[in-house]
Amino acid sequence: MTDIKRKGVNIVDTFAEAFPMVGTRVVVTAPTAEWAEIAARTMTGFATSVIACGAEAGIERKLSRDETYDGRPGVSVLLFTMDKDKLQKQLRNRVGQCILTCPGTACYAGIPGKPSLKLGSSLRFFGDGWQMSKVIEGRRFWRIPVMDGEFVCEEKTGYTKDAVGGGNFLVLGKSHEGVLKACTRAVKAMSQMPDIITPFPGGIVRSGSKVGSKYKGQIASTNDAYCPTLKGAVDSELPLDVEAVMEIVIDGLRPRPSPPP
Amino acid sequence: MSALTFKMKQRPDQRVDLSCLTPDRLAGMRSKDIEALHIGTTRSKLCVGDLFKVSGDETSQIRFVGTDDRCDHIGARFGEGEVLVDGDAGAYLGASLKGGTLTLKGDAGPYAGAAMSGGTLDIGGNAGERAGGVLVGEVHGMRGGRLIIRGNAGPMLAERMRRGIITVCGDADDYAGARVVAGTIVFLGKVGRFAGYGSKRGTLIFKKEPKEILPTFADCGVIEFTYLKLLERHLKEHDVKLRLPRRAQRLMGDMAAMGKGEMLILR
Repeated sequence: MTDIKRKGVNIVDTFAEAFPMVGTRVVVTAPTAEWAEIAARTMTGFATSVIACGAEAGIERKLSRDETYDGRPGVSVLLFTMDKDKLQKQLRNRVGQCILTCPGTACYAGIPGKPSLKLGSSLRFFGDGWQMSKVIEGRRFWRIPVMDGEFVCEEKTGYTKDAVGGGNFLVLGKSHEGVLKACTRAVKAMSQMPDIITPFPGGIVRSGSKVGSKYKGQIASTNDAYCPTLKGAVDSELPLDVEAVMEIVIDGLRPRPSPPP
Repeated sequence: MSALTFKMKQRPDQRVDLSCLTPDRLAGMRSKDIEALHIGTTRSKLCVGDLFKVSGDETSQIRFVGTDDRCDHIGARFGEGEVLVDGDAGAYLGASLKGGTLTLKGDAGPYAGAAMSGGTLDIGGNAGERAGGVLVGEVHGMRGGRLIIRGNAGPMLAERMRRGIITVCGDADDYAGARVVAGTIVFLGKVGRFAGYGSKRGTLIFKKEPKEILPTFADCGVIEFTYLKLLERHLKEHDVKLRLPRRAQRLMGDMAAMGKGEMLILR
Protein backbone atom coordinates (compact mmCIF):
# COMPACT_ATOMS: atom_id res chain seq x y z
CA MET A 1 0.00 0.00 0.00
CA THR A 2 2.81 2.46 0.76
CA ASP A 3 3.63 4.38 -2.39
CA ILE A 4 6.07 7.00 -1.08
CA LYS A 5 7.90 7.45 2.18
CA ARG A 6 9.20 10.96 2.76
CA LYS A 7 10.79 12.28 5.96
CA GLY A 8 9.26 9.40 7.87
CA VAL A 9 5.77 9.98 6.45
CA ASN A 10 3.99 7.28 4.48
CA ILE A 11 2.02 8.68 1.53
CA VAL A 12 -0.53 6.17 0.30
CA ASP A 13 -2.21 6.67 -3.06
CA THR A 14 -5.77 5.46 -2.47
CA PHE A 15 -8.27 7.83 -4.10
CA ALA A 16 -9.13 11.49 -4.24
CA GLU A 17 -12.64 12.81 -4.21
CA ALA A 18 -13.43 15.08 -7.18
CA PHE A 19 -16.89 16.45 -7.86
CA PRO A 20 -17.62 18.61 -10.89
CA MET A 21 -18.68 22.06 -9.65
CA VAL A 22 -19.38 25.52 -11.00
CA GLY A 23 -17.28 28.31 -9.60
CA THR A 24 -16.81 32.05 -9.77
CA ARG A 25 -14.47 34.71 -8.48
CA VAL A 26 -15.23 38.25 -7.30
CA VAL A 27 -12.82 40.92 -6.15
CA VAL A 28 -13.82 42.92 -3.09
CA THR A 29 -12.05 46.21 -2.35
CA ALA A 30 -12.30 48.57 0.61
CA PRO A 31 -10.59 51.69 1.98
CA THR A 32 -8.20 49.51 4.03
CA ALA A 33 -6.93 45.94 3.80
CA GLU A 34 -8.61 45.21 7.14
CA TRP A 35 -12.06 46.19 5.89
CA ALA A 36 -11.56 44.30 2.62
CA GLU A 37 -10.80 41.20 4.68
CA ILE A 38 -13.76 41.76 7.00
CA ALA A 39 -16.07 41.97 3.99
CA ALA A 40 -14.57 38.87 2.36
CA ARG A 41 -14.63 36.83 5.59
CA THR A 42 -18.27 37.76 6.14
CA MET A 43 -19.16 36.81 2.58
CA THR A 44 -17.42 33.45 2.87
CA GLY A 45 -18.79 32.65 6.32
CA PHE A 46 -20.96 29.55 6.72
CA ALA A 47 -19.76 28.21 3.38
CA THR A 48 -17.85 25.06 4.22
CA SER A 49 -19.91 22.51 2.35
CA VAL A 50 -22.68 22.54 -0.25
CA ILE A 51 -24.41 19.85 1.82
CA ALA A 52 -26.01 22.39 4.14
CA CYS A 53 -24.45 25.81 3.47
CA GLY A 54 -25.63 26.17 -0.11
CA ALA A 55 -22.12 27.01 -1.30
CA GLU A 56 -18.45 26.48 -0.62
CA ALA A 57 -16.51 29.72 -0.46
CA GLY A 58 -13.22 31.11 0.70
CA ILE A 59 -10.59 33.75 0.31
CA GLU A 60 -8.25 32.97 -2.58
CA ARG A 61 -5.73 35.68 -1.71
CA LYS A 62 -5.27 39.28 -0.64
CA LEU A 63 -4.64 41.85 -3.35
CA SER A 64 -2.43 44.90 -3.19
CA ARG A 65 -3.48 48.35 -4.41
CA ASP A 66 -1.67 47.72 -7.71
CA GLU A 67 -3.69 44.59 -8.39
CA THR A 68 -7.22 45.97 -7.98
CA TYR A 69 -9.32 47.90 -10.46
CA ASP A 70 -9.90 50.89 -8.20
CA GLY A 71 -6.41 51.06 -6.68
CA ARG A 72 -7.57 50.13 -3.18
CA PRO A 73 -6.63 47.08 -1.10
CA GLY A 74 -8.70 44.04 -2.01
CA VAL A 75 -9.40 40.38 -1.56
CA SER A 76 -10.25 37.82 -4.19
CA VAL A 77 -13.04 35.44 -3.21
CA LEU A 78 -13.98 32.11 -4.79
CA LEU A 79 -17.50 30.67 -4.60
CA PHE A 80 -18.55 27.17 -5.66
CA THR A 81 -21.84 25.29 -5.96
CA MET A 82 -23.10 22.27 -7.84
CA ASP A 83 -25.00 24.19 -10.57
CA LYS A 84 -25.30 27.64 -12.12
CA ASP A 85 -28.69 28.59 -10.65
CA LYS A 86 -27.53 27.89 -7.11
CA LEU A 87 -24.30 29.79 -7.76
CA GLN A 88 -26.28 32.80 -9.00
CA LYS A 89 -28.52 32.76 -5.93
CA GLN A 90 -25.63 32.37 -3.50
CA LEU A 91 -23.62 35.11 -5.21
CA ARG A 92 -26.51 37.57 -5.13
CA ASN A 93 -27.35 36.85 -1.49
CA ARG A 94 -23.79 36.86 -0.21
CA VAL A 95 -22.72 40.02 -2.08
CA GLY A 96 -26.03 41.69 -1.26
CA GLN A 97 -25.93 40.87 2.45
CA CYS A 98 -22.19 40.91 3.17
CA ILE A 99 -20.45 43.24 0.70
CA LEU A 100 -23.14 45.82 -0.02
CA THR A 101 -23.64 46.21 3.73
CA CYS A 102 -19.95 46.55 4.62
CA PRO A 103 -18.62 50.14 4.90
CA GLY A 104 -16.61 51.47 1.97
CA THR A 105 -16.54 48.30 -0.13
CA ALA A 106 -16.80 47.83 -3.89
CA CYS A 107 -17.22 44.58 -5.82
CA TYR A 108 -15.74 43.69 -9.20
CA ALA A 109 -15.70 40.71 -11.57
CA GLY A 110 -12.91 38.24 -10.91
CA ILE A 111 -13.38 36.24 -14.10
CA PRO A 112 -13.77 38.21 -17.34
CA GLY A 113 -16.18 37.47 -20.18
CA LYS A 114 -18.82 34.83 -20.69
CA PRO A 115 -20.50 32.74 -19.40
CA SER A 116 -21.44 35.24 -16.74
CA LEU A 117 -23.53 35.69 -13.61
CA LYS A 118 -25.49 38.76 -12.56
CA LEU A 119 -23.71 40.83 -9.96
CA GLY A 120 -24.58 44.54 -9.90
CA SER A 121 -27.33 44.04 -12.48
CA SER A 122 -29.58 42.56 -9.79
CA LEU A 123 -28.21 44.46 -6.77
CA ARG A 124 -28.75 47.82 -8.51
CA PHE A 125 -32.45 47.72 -7.63
CA PHE A 126 -31.43 48.48 -4.05
CA GLY A 127 -30.81 52.00 -5.40
CA ASP A 128 -34.57 52.46 -5.81
CA GLY A 129 -34.17 54.39 -9.05
CA TRP A 130 -31.25 56.57 -7.87
CA GLN A 131 -28.60 54.14 -9.14
CA MET A 132 -26.40 55.18 -12.07
CA SER A 133 -24.53 52.97 -14.50
CA LYS A 134 -21.17 53.79 -16.04
CA VAL A 135 -19.52 51.89 -18.90
CA ILE A 136 -15.73 52.00 -18.85
CA GLU A 137 -13.72 50.03 -21.42
CA GLY A 138 -16.74 47.86 -22.18
CA ARG A 139 -17.35 47.01 -18.52
CA ARG A 140 -20.54 48.29 -16.88
CA PHE A 141 -20.42 49.44 -13.28
CA TRP A 142 -23.38 50.33 -11.08
CA ARG A 143 -23.13 53.19 -8.61
CA ILE A 144 -25.71 52.54 -5.93
CA PRO A 145 -26.33 55.30 -3.37
CA VAL A 146 -25.95 54.04 0.22
CA MET A 147 -25.66 55.74 3.59
CA ASP A 148 -21.83 55.95 3.52
CA GLY A 149 -21.72 57.29 -0.04
CA GLU A 150 -21.81 54.93 -2.99
CA PHE A 151 -21.52 51.19 -3.50
CA VAL A 152 -19.76 50.48 -6.81
CA CYS A 153 -20.50 47.05 -8.22
CA GLU A 154 -19.65 45.59 -11.61
CA GLU A 155 -22.67 44.41 -13.58
CA LYS A 156 -21.51 40.83 -14.19
CA THR A 157 -18.80 38.36 -13.34
CA GLY A 158 -17.77 35.29 -15.28
CA TYR A 159 -17.99 31.73 -14.01
CA THR A 160 -16.60 28.35 -14.99
CA LYS A 161 -18.28 24.99 -15.35
CA ASP A 162 -14.90 23.22 -15.12
CA ALA A 163 -14.47 23.69 -11.39
CA VAL A 164 -13.63 20.70 -9.17
CA GLY A 165 -14.15 20.16 -5.47
CA GLY A 166 -13.62 17.39 -2.98
CA GLY A 167 -11.68 15.92 -0.07
CA ASN A 168 -8.22 15.29 -1.40
CA PHE A 169 -6.02 14.49 1.58
CA LEU A 170 -6.50 12.46 4.73
CA VAL A 171 -3.71 13.08 7.21
CA LEU A 172 -3.23 10.31 9.78
CA GLY A 173 -1.00 10.75 12.81
CA LYS A 174 0.07 9.40 16.15
CA SER A 175 -1.10 12.50 18.02
CA HIS A 176 -3.88 15.05 17.57
CA GLU A 177 -1.39 17.86 18.03
CA GLY A 178 0.91 16.52 15.32
CA VAL A 179 -1.89 16.04 12.77
CA LEU A 180 -3.24 19.52 13.41
CA LYS A 181 0.21 21.02 13.03
CA ALA A 182 0.87 19.13 9.77
CA CYS A 183 -2.48 20.11 8.29
CA THR A 184 -2.05 23.75 9.30
CA ARG A 185 1.28 23.86 7.50
CA ALA A 186 -0.18 22.11 4.45
CA VAL A 187 -3.09 24.60 4.23
CA LYS A 188 -0.68 27.52 4.60
CA ALA A 189 1.38 26.19 1.69
CA MET A 190 -1.78 25.69 -0.41
CA SER A 191 -2.95 29.24 0.29
CA GLN A 192 -0.14 30.51 -1.96
CA MET A 193 -1.62 28.69 -4.94
CA PRO A 194 -3.95 30.54 -7.35
CA ASP A 195 -7.46 29.37 -8.30
CA ILE A 196 -8.08 27.30 -5.16
CA ILE A 197 -9.62 27.59 -1.72
CA THR A 198 -9.81 25.28 1.27
CA PRO A 199 -13.36 26.09 2.43
CA PHE A 200 -13.47 24.39 5.86
CA PRO A 201 -12.48 26.06 9.15
CA GLY A 202 -8.81 26.91 8.80
CA GLY A 203 -8.87 24.71 5.70
CA ILE A 204 -9.21 21.50 7.74
CA VAL A 205 -12.12 19.06 8.25
CA ARG A 206 -12.22 16.81 11.31
CA SER A 207 -15.59 15.24 10.52
CA GLY A 208 -15.09 13.48 7.20
CA SER A 209 -18.29 11.77 6.12
CA LYS A 210 -19.53 8.77 4.24
CA VAL A 211 -22.68 8.73 2.14
CA GLY A 212 -25.82 7.52 3.96
CA SER A 213 -26.60 6.52 7.50
CA LYS A 214 -28.47 3.97 9.59
CA TYR A 215 -30.94 6.78 10.30
CA LYS A 216 -33.63 7.60 7.74
CA GLY A 217 -33.27 11.07 6.24
CA GLN A 218 -29.61 11.44 7.23
CA ILE A 219 -27.80 11.76 3.87
CA ALA A 220 -24.28 11.70 5.30
CA SER A 221 -22.80 10.33 8.50
CA THR A 222 -19.44 9.95 10.19
CA ASN A 223 -16.73 8.17 8.24
CA ASP A 224 -16.44 5.34 10.78
CA ALA A 225 -13.66 3.57 8.90
CA TYR A 226 -11.43 6.53 9.75
CA CYS A 227 -12.62 7.26 13.30
CA PRO A 228 -9.78 6.30 15.68
CA THR A 229 -12.19 5.61 18.56
CA LEU A 230 -13.92 2.87 16.52
CA LYS A 231 -10.81 1.04 15.32
CA GLY A 232 -11.66 -2.17 17.11
CA ALA A 233 -15.40 -2.09 16.43
CA VAL A 234 -15.72 -1.42 12.67
CA ASP A 235 -13.92 -2.39 9.47
CA SER A 236 -11.30 0.29 10.12
CA GLU A 237 -8.78 1.62 7.63
CA LEU A 238 -6.53 2.89 10.39
CA PRO A 239 -3.41 1.34 11.89
CA LEU A 240 -3.73 0.80 15.63
CA ASP A 241 -1.30 3.58 16.55
CA VAL A 242 -3.23 6.31 14.71
CA GLU A 243 -4.75 8.76 17.18
CA ALA A 244 -6.30 11.38 14.87
CA VAL A 245 -7.29 11.88 11.21
CA MET A 246 -7.95 15.20 9.51
CA GLU A 247 -9.01 15.95 5.96
CA ILE A 248 -8.13 18.77 3.60
CA VAL A 249 -10.83 19.67 1.11
CA ILE A 250 -9.79 21.71 -1.92
CA ASP A 251 -12.09 23.53 -4.36
CA GLY A 252 -10.46 24.73 -7.55
CA LEU A 253 -11.57 26.69 -10.60
CA ARG A 254 -9.65 24.40 -12.94
CA PRO A 255 -9.19 20.64 -13.10
CA ARG A 256 -5.42 21.03 -13.42
CA PRO A 257 -3.22 22.97 -11.04
CA SER A 258 -2.29 26.49 -12.07
CA PRO A 259 1.30 27.65 -11.94
CA PRO A 260 2.15 29.62 -8.80
CA PRO A 261 1.84 33.43 -9.22
CA MET B 1 3.84 47.32 -45.88
CA SER B 2 3.58 51.00 -44.99
CA ALA B 3 0.59 53.11 -43.97
CA LEU B 4 -1.61 54.31 -46.80
CA THR B 5 -0.73 58.02 -46.87
CA PHE B 6 -2.62 60.92 -48.42
CA LYS B 7 -0.40 63.99 -48.68
CA MET B 8 -2.31 67.12 -49.66
CA LYS B 9 -0.83 68.89 -52.68
CA GLN B 10 -2.62 72.24 -52.33
CA ARG B 11 -5.53 73.85 -50.48
CA PRO B 12 -8.74 72.71 -52.24
CA ASP B 13 -10.92 75.33 -53.94
CA GLN B 14 -14.04 73.66 -52.55
CA ARG B 15 -14.98 71.71 -49.41
CA VAL B 16 -14.09 68.05 -49.79
CA ASP B 17 -15.88 65.00 -48.41
CA LEU B 18 -13.28 62.42 -47.33
CA SER B 19 -15.72 59.91 -45.85
CA CYS B 20 -14.70 57.39 -48.51
CA LEU B 21 -11.09 57.31 -47.28
CA THR B 22 -11.48 55.01 -44.28
CA PRO B 23 -9.92 51.59 -43.56
CA ASP B 24 -13.25 49.79 -44.06
CA ARG B 25 -14.00 51.35 -47.41
CA LEU B 26 -10.51 51.17 -48.87
CA ALA B 27 -9.82 47.56 -47.92
CA GLY B 28 -8.82 45.56 -50.99
CA MET B 29 -8.79 48.57 -53.34
CA ARG B 30 -5.92 49.27 -55.74
CA SER B 31 -4.05 52.57 -55.61
CA LYS B 32 -5.37 53.57 -59.05
CA ASP B 33 -8.98 53.02 -57.97
CA ILE B 34 -8.42 54.98 -54.77
CA GLU B 35 -7.05 57.96 -56.71
CA ALA B 36 -10.17 57.95 -58.90
CA LEU B 37 -12.61 58.28 -55.97
CA HIS B 38 -14.74 61.41 -56.12
CA ILE B 39 -14.36 63.70 -53.10
CA GLY B 40 -15.68 67.03 -54.40
CA THR B 41 -18.83 68.68 -53.12
CA THR B 42 -19.57 71.07 -55.97
CA ARG B 43 -20.31 70.68 -59.66
CA SER B 44 -16.64 70.87 -60.51
CA LYS B 45 -15.23 67.37 -60.38
CA LEU B 46 -12.49 66.61 -57.85
CA CYS B 47 -10.90 63.21 -57.30
CA VAL B 48 -8.52 61.92 -54.62
CA GLY B 49 -5.60 61.98 -57.07
CA ASP B 50 -6.24 65.67 -57.89
CA LEU B 51 -5.81 66.74 -54.28
CA PHE B 52 -3.57 64.14 -52.66
CA LYS B 53 -0.34 62.36 -53.45
CA VAL B 54 -1.11 58.76 -52.49
CA SER B 55 1.57 56.39 -51.20
CA GLY B 56 1.73 53.21 -49.12
CA ASP B 57 -0.60 50.22 -49.22
CA GLU B 58 -1.64 49.26 -45.69
CA THR B 59 -5.33 50.18 -45.71
CA SER B 60 -5.84 49.38 -42.03
CA GLN B 61 -3.49 52.28 -41.23
CA ILE B 62 -4.34 55.52 -42.99
CA ARG B 63 -2.41 58.75 -42.66
CA PHE B 64 -3.41 62.21 -43.87
CA VAL B 65 -0.69 64.86 -44.13
CA GLY B 66 -1.23 68.60 -44.55
CA THR B 67 -5.03 68.60 -44.42
CA ASP B 68 -6.90 71.82 -43.55
CA ASP B 69 -10.32 73.00 -42.38
CA ARG B 70 -11.90 72.29 -45.76
CA CYS B 71 -11.44 68.56 -45.36
CA ASP B 72 -14.78 67.30 -44.02
CA HIS B 73 -15.89 63.83 -42.85
CA ILE B 74 -12.36 62.51 -42.19
CA GLY B 75 -12.66 59.09 -40.57
CA ALA B 76 -16.44 59.25 -40.52
CA ARG B 77 -18.36 56.03 -39.81
CA PHE B 78 -15.41 53.63 -39.84
CA GLY B 79 -15.41 50.58 -37.58
CA GLU B 80 -11.87 49.32 -37.26
CA GLY B 81 -8.32 50.30 -38.07
CA GLU B 82 -6.29 53.42 -37.43
CA VAL B 83 -6.42 56.88 -38.98
CA LEU B 84 -3.85 59.55 -38.18
CA VAL B 85 -4.34 63.12 -39.40
CA ASP B 86 -1.25 65.30 -39.41
CA GLY B 87 -2.97 68.62 -39.98
CA ASP B 88 -6.38 70.22 -39.33
CA ALA B 89 -9.79 68.79 -40.09
CA GLY B 90 -13.06 70.32 -41.25
CA ALA B 91 -16.55 69.39 -40.12
CA TYR B 92 -17.75 65.92 -39.07
CA LEU B 93 -14.34 64.51 -38.12
CA GLY B 94 -15.05 60.98 -36.88
CA ALA B 95 -18.81 61.55 -36.99
CA SER B 96 -20.68 58.26 -36.39
CA LEU B 97 -17.36 56.57 -35.61
CA LYS B 98 -18.00 52.93 -34.65
CA GLY B 99 -14.56 51.65 -33.61
CA GLY B 100 -10.84 51.90 -34.21
CA THR B 101 -8.65 54.90 -33.46
CA LEU B 102 -8.76 58.32 -35.08
CA THR B 103 -6.06 60.79 -34.07
CA LEU B 104 -5.92 64.41 -35.18
CA LYS B 105 -2.86 66.52 -34.48
CA GLY B 106 -4.44 69.89 -35.29
CA ASP B 107 -7.83 71.55 -34.83
CA ALA B 108 -11.21 70.09 -35.78
CA GLY B 109 -14.29 71.85 -37.18
CA PRO B 110 -17.87 71.45 -35.98
CA TYR B 111 -19.55 68.11 -35.22
CA ALA B 112 -16.31 66.22 -34.43
CA GLY B 113 -17.26 62.82 -33.02
CA ALA B 114 -20.95 63.62 -33.37
CA ALA B 115 -23.12 60.54 -32.84
CA MET B 116 -20.04 58.31 -32.52
CA SER B 117 -20.79 54.93 -30.97
CA GLY B 118 -17.37 53.39 -30.34
CA GLY B 119 -13.62 53.69 -30.81
CA THR B 120 -11.33 56.53 -29.79
CA LEU B 121 -11.23 60.02 -31.28
CA ASP B 122 -8.24 61.98 -30.03
CA ILE B 123 -8.11 65.65 -31.07
CA GLY B 124 -4.75 67.26 -30.36
CA GLY B 125 -5.98 70.85 -30.83
CA ASN B 126 -9.33 72.58 -30.46
CA ALA B 127 -12.72 71.21 -31.47
CA GLY B 128 -15.48 73.32 -33.03
CA GLU B 129 -19.08 73.52 -31.93
CA ARG B 130 -21.23 70.46 -31.19
CA ALA B 131 -18.36 67.97 -30.73
CA GLY B 132 -19.79 64.63 -29.56
CA GLY B 133 -23.19 66.10 -30.24
CA VAL B 134 -26.22 65.12 -32.22
CA LEU B 135 -26.31 64.92 -36.03
CA VAL B 136 -29.21 66.33 -37.99
CA GLY B 137 -32.06 63.83 -38.04
CA GLU B 138 -30.73 61.79 -35.13
CA VAL B 139 -32.22 61.49 -31.66
CA HIS B 140 -29.02 61.10 -29.63
CA GLY B 141 -25.50 62.47 -29.72
CA MET B 142 -22.45 60.42 -28.85
CA ARG B 143 -23.46 56.83 -27.97
CA GLY B 144 -20.19 55.26 -26.91
CA GLY B 145 -16.41 55.32 -27.22
CA ARG B 146 -13.94 57.95 -26.08
CA LEU B 147 -13.56 61.51 -27.29
CA ILE B 148 -10.50 63.37 -26.07
CA ILE B 149 -10.13 67.06 -26.87
CA ARG B 150 -6.68 68.22 -25.78
CA GLY B 151 -7.41 71.88 -26.63
CA ASN B 152 -10.63 73.84 -26.18
CA ALA B 153 -14.15 72.71 -27.07
CA GLY B 154 -16.71 74.89 -28.84
CA PRO B 155 -20.30 75.48 -27.72
CA MET B 156 -22.93 72.74 -27.37
CA LEU B 157 -20.37 70.04 -26.56
CA ALA B 158 -21.95 66.59 -26.18
CA GLU B 159 -25.51 67.72 -26.84
CA ARG B 160 -27.92 64.81 -26.13
CA MET B 161 -25.02 62.47 -25.41
CA ARG B 162 -26.21 58.95 -24.56
CA ARG B 163 -23.07 57.00 -23.52
CA GLY B 164 -19.26 57.22 -23.63
CA ILE B 165 -16.60 59.40 -22.08
CA ILE B 166 -15.51 62.86 -23.25
CA THR B 167 -12.45 64.60 -21.83
CA VAL B 168 -11.76 68.29 -22.49
CA CYS B 169 -8.23 69.21 -21.45
CA GLY B 170 -8.68 72.90 -22.26
CA ASP B 171 -11.73 75.14 -21.80
CA ALA B 172 -15.29 74.43 -22.90
CA ASP B 173 -17.74 76.99 -24.25
CA ASP B 174 -21.41 77.57 -23.37
CA TYR B 175 -24.02 74.82 -23.14
CA ALA B 176 -21.46 72.06 -22.56
CA GLY B 177 -23.32 68.83 -21.75
CA ALA B 178 -26.69 70.32 -22.65
CA ARG B 179 -29.62 67.87 -22.72
CA VAL B 180 -27.31 64.95 -21.93
CA VAL B 181 -29.16 61.65 -21.50
CA ALA B 182 -26.24 59.69 -20.00
CA GLY B 183 -22.45 59.38 -20.26
CA THR B 184 -19.51 61.18 -18.67
CA ILE B 185 -17.77 64.46 -19.53
CA VAL B 186 -14.58 65.51 -17.77
CA PHE B 187 -13.63 69.19 -17.88
CA LEU B 188 -10.07 70.02 -16.91
CA GLY B 189 -10.27 73.73 -17.81
CA LYS B 190 -12.85 76.48 -17.50
CA VAL B 191 -16.44 75.98 -18.58
CA GLY B 192 -18.82 78.51 -20.10
CA ARG B 193 -22.40 79.29 -19.12
CA PHE B 194 -25.35 76.86 -18.93
CA ALA B 195 -23.31 73.65 -18.50
CA GLY B 196 -25.62 70.66 -18.12
CA TYR B 197 -28.68 72.60 -19.28
CA GLY B 198 -31.66 70.24 -19.52
CA SER B 199 -29.63 67.11 -18.73
CA LYS B 200 -31.62 64.05 -17.64
CA ARG B 201 -28.85 61.76 -16.41
CA GLY B 202 -25.11 61.69 -17.05
CA THR B 203 -22.08 62.99 -15.19
CA LEU B 204 -20.23 66.28 -15.67
CA ILE B 205 -16.93 66.34 -13.80
CA PHE B 206 -15.17 69.67 -13.25
CA LYS B 207 -11.58 70.06 -12.14
CA LYS B 208 -12.21 73.80 -11.75
CA GLU B 209 -15.43 75.04 -10.24
CA PRO B 210 -17.61 76.57 -12.98
CA LYS B 211 -18.23 80.30 -12.56
CA GLU B 212 -21.93 79.90 -13.22
CA ILE B 213 -23.97 76.90 -12.17
CA LEU B 214 -27.58 76.65 -13.24
CA PRO B 215 -29.97 77.19 -10.32
CA THR B 216 -31.75 73.97 -11.29
CA PHE B 217 -28.84 71.87 -9.98
CA ALA B 218 -29.29 70.89 -6.32
CA ASP B 219 -26.29 70.75 -4.01
CA CYS B 220 -25.77 67.34 -2.32
CA GLY B 221 -22.55 68.27 -0.50
CA VAL B 222 -19.03 66.84 -0.63
CA ILE B 223 -18.79 63.02 -0.77
CA GLU B 224 -16.16 60.35 -1.48
CA PHE B 225 -16.53 58.57 -4.84
CA THR B 226 -14.81 55.25 -5.59
CA TYR B 227 -15.99 55.66 -9.17
CA LEU B 228 -13.50 58.50 -9.71
CA LYS B 229 -10.65 56.02 -9.27
CA LEU B 230 -12.06 53.86 -12.07
CA LEU B 231 -12.29 56.91 -14.29
CA GLU B 232 -8.75 58.06 -13.44
CA ARG B 233 -7.40 54.66 -14.43
CA HIS B 234 -9.31 54.79 -17.72
CA LEU B 235 -8.03 58.28 -18.56
CA LYS B 236 -4.47 57.27 -17.73
CA GLU B 237 -4.73 54.42 -20.23
CA HIS B 238 -5.60 57.02 -22.87
CA ASP B 239 -2.70 59.27 -22.03
CA VAL B 240 -4.70 61.85 -20.09
CA LYS B 241 -2.60 62.49 -17.03
CA LEU B 242 -4.93 63.56 -14.29
CA ARG B 243 -4.95 62.74 -10.61
CA LEU B 244 -8.57 62.66 -9.55
CA PRO B 245 -9.19 63.18 -5.85
CA ARG B 246 -11.67 60.83 -4.23
CA ARG B 247 -13.79 63.65 -2.83
CA ALA B 248 -16.10 65.81 -4.90
CA GLN B 249 -19.02 68.15 -4.42
CA ARG B 250 -22.12 66.61 -5.99
CA LEU B 251 -24.93 68.60 -7.52
CA MET B 252 -27.94 66.80 -8.99
CA GLY B 253 -29.93 68.11 -11.91
CA ASP B 254 -31.14 69.44 -14.15
CA MET B 255 -34.23 69.53 -11.94
CA ALA B 256 -36.07 71.26 -14.79
CA ALA B 257 -35.66 68.00 -16.74
CA MET B 258 -35.50 64.52 -15.14
CA GLY B 259 -32.97 65.65 -12.53
CA LYS B 260 -30.96 62.43 -12.27
CA GLY B 261 -27.81 63.85 -13.79
CA GLU B 262 -24.94 65.07 -11.69
CA MET B 263 -22.10 67.55 -11.56
CA LEU B 264 -19.04 66.48 -9.61
CA ILE B 265 -16.77 69.38 -8.68
CA LEU B 266 -13.44 67.90 -7.62
CA ARG B 267 -12.03 68.85 -4.22
